[in-house]
Amino acid sequence: MTGAATLRRDPAVALTVAVLWLVLALFVAFPMATLLARIFFDKGAFSADGFLAVLTDRHQIRAFWNSMLLGVLVGVGGTLLGFMFAFTAARARLSRGLLTVVDAAVLLPLVSPPFTTAIAIIFSFGPRGLITYELLGLKGVTAYGLTSTLFSEILTFFPIAYLTLRPLLAGIDSNIEGMAQSLGASRWRVFRTVTLPLCVPGLANAFLLLFAASLADFATPLILAGNQFPVLPTQAFLQITGLFDLRGGAALSLVLLVPAMAVFLLQRYWVSRRFYVTVTGKGAGQAPHDSVSPRARAALLAACAFVAVAIIYFYALLLYASLVVALGANHTFTLAHYRVIFTEGLRVIGDTLIIAAFAMPLGGLYGVLLGYLVTRKSFPGRRTMEMTSMVNYALPGTIVGIAYLIAFNEPPIELAGTALLIIACYVFRYGPTGIRATIALLQQIDRSLEEASLGLGAGSGTTFRRVTLPLILPAFFAGLGVVFIRSMTAISATIFLVSVSWTLITVKILENITELSLGPAAAYSVLVVVIVFVVIALIGLALRAFRAPGSTRVTSLLGG
Amino acid sequence: MGDATIGVQVDGVSKRFSHRVKGEVYAAREVRLDVAPGEFLTLLGPSGCGKTTTLRMVAGFEKPDEGAIRFGGEDVTALPANGRGIGFVFQNYALFPHLTVADNVAYGLEVRRVPSAEVGSRVAEVLKLVGLAGYEHQFPAQLSGGEQQRVALARAIVIRPRVLLFDEPLSNLDARLRVQMRTEIRDLQRRLGITTIYVTHDQEEAMAVSDRIVVMNQGRVVQEGTAQDLYHRPANEFVATFVGRVNLVPGRIDDLVGGVASVSMLGTTVEVRSVAHGIARGDAVRVVVRPEAIGLSAAGSEGPSATVASHAFLGEKIEYGLDCGGAALQAVRYNAGPGEVLPDGAPVTLNFAEEALALLPGDGR
Repeated sequence: MTGAATLRRDPAVALTVAVLWLVLALFVAFPMATLLARIFFDKGAFSADGFLAVLTDRHQIRAFWNSMLLGVLVGVGGTLLGFMFAFTAARARLSRGLLTVVDAAVLLPLVSPPFTTAIAIIFSFGPRGLITYELLGLKGVTAYGLTSTLFSEILTFFPIAYLTLRPLLAGIDSNIEGMAQSLGASRWRVFRTVTLPLCVPGLANAFLLLFAASLADFATPLILAGNQFPVLPTQAFLQITGLFDLRGGAALSLVLLVPAMAVFLLQRYWVSRRFYVTVTGKGAGQAPHDSVSPRARAALLAACAFVAVAIIYFYALLLYASLVVALGANHTFTLAHYRVIFTEGLRVIGDTLIIAAFAMPLGGLYGVLLGYLVTRKSFPGRRTMEMTSMVNYALPGTIVGIAYLIAFNEPPIELAGTALLIIACYVFRYGPTGIRATIALLQQIDRSLEEASLGLGAGSGTTFRRVTLPLILPAFFAGLGVVFIRSMTAISATIFLVSVSWTLITVKILENITELSLGPAAAYSVLVVVIVFVVIALIGLALRAFRAPGSTRVTSLLGG
Repeated sequence: MGDATIGVQVDGVSKRFSHRVKGEVYAAREVRLDVAPGEFLTLLGPSGCGKTTTLRMVAGFEKPDEGAIRFGGEDVTALPANGRGIGFVFQNYALFPHLTVADNVAYGLEVRRVPSAEVGSRVAEVLKLVGLAGYEHQFPAQLSGGEQQRVALARAIVIRPRVLLFDEPLSNLDARLRVQMRTEIRDLQRRLGITTIYVTHDQEEAMAVSDRIVVMNQGRVVQEGTAQDLYHRPANEFVATFVGRVNLVPGRIDDLVGGVASVSMLGTTVEVRSVAHGIARGDAVRVVVRPEAIGLSAAGSEGPSATVASHAFLGEKIEYGLDCGGAALQAVRYNAGPGEVLPDGAPVTLNFAEEALALLPGDGR
């Protein structure tokens, strides 16, 4: 049956496809086209001058190479740290309790607003920092620059590496390692010649994901990089908000697009094809191979504990800072900061929650619908639709934010400053996690399940409702979770979209930091972490309640 | 072979697991095996009977909670798998997916620091032996199931192991290939003379390859012997039904003289030579009647009469379901030519090949 024939025979599918194309055109294709038009057209004529001016500006070239350097260092450092944690979790025979602690410590940075480690670093290592000033008595220390940015980004992003590498390590058939051992290899040799080579595609994947995350990261360098270490996303932001040069900012963001796209394509179409299938039938269920010597185990645990303690220390510090008058100067207990955020800040909190509450179901639905249609139905432009849906997800938030700002600032579609625009930004930027989860889940669910239902006389609607939907519910909830978390914590795109009438907690945190009112900033951050944890827990409960017995689990609530 | 062939002793080995519902369960309980040097021994049993756990303990992948394992008199219980000098073939082959065929096979030799010239020649030699010459540079994912199986075999034997261990090596292959590979494994083992322990749940496969079979159930050894011993003189109902197809026909001992029992069953009397211990005159018994031990002759002859309830023509043989005065029996006849098949409902008279019968106690023990 051809794609077009399917559409004729199934009007519901045709209508859904049409609606999806319409919104994709409006919120993905149109902004990108406007962005490119703004950069390359001047007064109606093609002109690359503005773009070339950016490319040849020494300061911006430096920002480009700084971004690259930071990305590579974060990629390497974060991958190593993530691998260490993943290996420890998968192989060091941790008790359940210990594993939960590790998981929680690793997940904290992923669900926090973007500045949390950055603020904690300033609290610890700044001029009046708890560690540098109070503990070590150093004076005139500056916490700004490459080192602290790197440190903060590695701590923030290494969980991504952990989440990609842990299932990979857990999925290596323990018989393969057992086999190497039975052939006479020592534990170290098994690790070096079998385990590690099998992880190479995963390591490359993790590196690329971290590189992309660092490249797109806006919040950390804004706080920590300082003047001495300009990077692209912050430069683009400053160009627009500081110099009111929309076109220059757009051009800068486009420079970011090239490496970001390259990394995304490399990751999707090259690395992901190089994974080894190591699980083949029986044997996969065997107990993990006894692959870590007691001494190595102790060393791994110590190293992970050190990092986990550092993370927990940062969050404890944040909580502490929100409860004292002024950290570093006056450590008297006070609830004043919370009073501030729940009086003056109440509207911001309300705005953020309203936006998140709308973005969450829409993003979840969008993910499941699009994911289902592109995997299970054939219609013209199916692959194009999947690719288009990934654009806003793959691009750094700065580009998306600037594109939205340019596209919706003036007629024909004037949406600037509305909640709708911010919601749309979240749906199309983070909904794709749900798409990916749905596709991945559907690929594991054999088509014969649906065929069995059709064969028993059920229509395609009933089949979807009774068979497919229950099986892809985990992906729906994963989509909900990611969209909600990001609606609470993201800033890189939406900082360009907030207005007098609608603003976000993350933007407010940034304002507080620049005004040096760190107490309320800390209080807001604590609030966001708490809300996110509560909602994740609720989604986890819902997932458990709705999950069809035996259906596949979606483990990465945080996608990528 | 470099090393002298050695035997393997498994001495009262037990392995416990904690089960979420049942608490502590024994995967293997006081298992004793004595494998002679060069012998091909098979552990046979249904899934969950403890055969794989036992094998993994011999390999060193699991540590027994009790008991000892000895290779040629040397206690290896505390030795990890990499110190035991074993060759192991997994059901899923466990080939290294990132290495070529040649590198997979060479792995164990490189671990042993065999000079590279010798590695090359030994790899080539063993690949030729398993019929995979020319496959050196392929990756496992490019091979068929049977080819992967041969690589796993080559990798296990190239290190000239003291003991060769197989964990259901053929169950991922299709039926025809399974039969071919089991013959190849058997021939190879004979040629190399390596002491071998082989695990399977397929009784036909066990009978085809083994010098001796150990039947396990619920963690324990229930009987050991040659294929013929197990088939003709099963020690209990489990072995009788697990090894081959069987009719267990209720009967009673009329007389017991000089080890020969006169048993009345199905309205006739048979003489049985294979009598288990503890069976006495007057006892209720069950007679082990294999399908091929039932002879069918024209109705009206002397013997119990029955009718054909169902039949299946399988080419070389015909399987019959019989109704003998309410008792259901299964019988098999070899196909002697066209026109041989008895239709459903046909009356027949039964006779029994008495030398093929055996007795079990009547109470289900």
